[in-house]
Amino acid sequence: MKKTILITTAFFLFNMVNAQKKYFTKTGNASFRAGTAVEDIDGINKSTTCIFDAGTGDIQFAILVKGFEFKSALMMEHFNENYMESDKYPKSTFKGKITNLDKINFQKDGTYPVIVKGSLEIHGVKKDIETTGAFKVTGETVLATADFSVALEDYKIEIPSLVKDKIAKTAKIQINCSNSVLK
Amino acid sequence: MKKWKKILFGILMVAFITTGYGFYMYTKKPADVRTLSANYELSTAALIEDYNKDETAANVKYLDKVIAVKGKVKEIKLEQATGQATVVLDSGDPMAAVTCSFYNEELASVKKLTEGSEIVIKGKCTGKLMDVVLNKCSIEK
Repeated sequence: MKKTILITTAFFLFNMVNAQKKYFTKTGNASFRAGTAVEDIDGINKSTTCIFDAGTGDIQFAILVKGFEFKSALMMEHFNENYMESDKYPKSTFKGKITNLDKINFQKDGTYPVIVKGSLEIHGVKKDIETTGAFKVTGETVLATADFSVALEDYKIEIPSLVKDKIAKTAKIQINCSNSVLK
Repeated sequence: MKKWKKILFGILMVAFITTGYGFYMYTKKPADVRTLSANYELSTAALIEDYNKDETAANVKYLDKVIAVKGKVKEIKLEQATGQATVVLDSGDPMAAVTCSFYNEELASVKKLTEGSEIVIKGKCTGKLMDVVLNKCSIEK
């Protein structure tokens, strides 16, 4: 009997410690590719904010659309003015939950597959998505990575017919955020 | 005969210039923020105050502009693998700082910085999440 109580208390204590841990970064990378065989179109944002709670599985990303860097000035201009309308919609966000939290051991180093479900807001349009990624736990840091695609149409991003063969209908998004424990 | 030649020459010139201009625009690189002079020079505290007061108005004023911001180094983050360097400047407000993401080539000079020292960083304002974010940064002073 005593043993059971001890184990349960230990279990709850352990859970509490776990629940208190939040991970955070302001310098994550998010990049996208929307080019075709005709032309490469890619941008990278190095100031992606990511926060997640190892106890509840809540996860959030936020990004400033103006912060994407391009190799061409024209591409940057078109991206901001014509497609993303970054003056009108300066931020993109993701709010969701890790659905397989029980499979991730933040106390043990290793790479864990992660399933995330939530609402992605781009260009002022919110849409529910589900995607897989990975958490690489190394001591106190967790590297969160994900690769997924979004259809531009879903977010009301219109491509003029003149450049249709240059821009892909879906953009490949890559997330690479090295999070550390939030104190 | 002469008139005909003149017209042809004119058409060729126009075609040549448009192609040239098109090619120039197509291959033009985004402006190197390091070579631009700052639109605004201010302290981190003043920048954060403007954003805390009215984010929309602050965005109209600062978004996409080159800003030279003066503040104390709170945190230096170096990513050796990617060459990415980020400096967080303290603003006096514990909830909001200024995050400065540097050009990859600036990694070496960022390495020489020490926490707590006062510096001026120049970069392009991209807006505010929790912090006000500048990208394409370099050390001004």
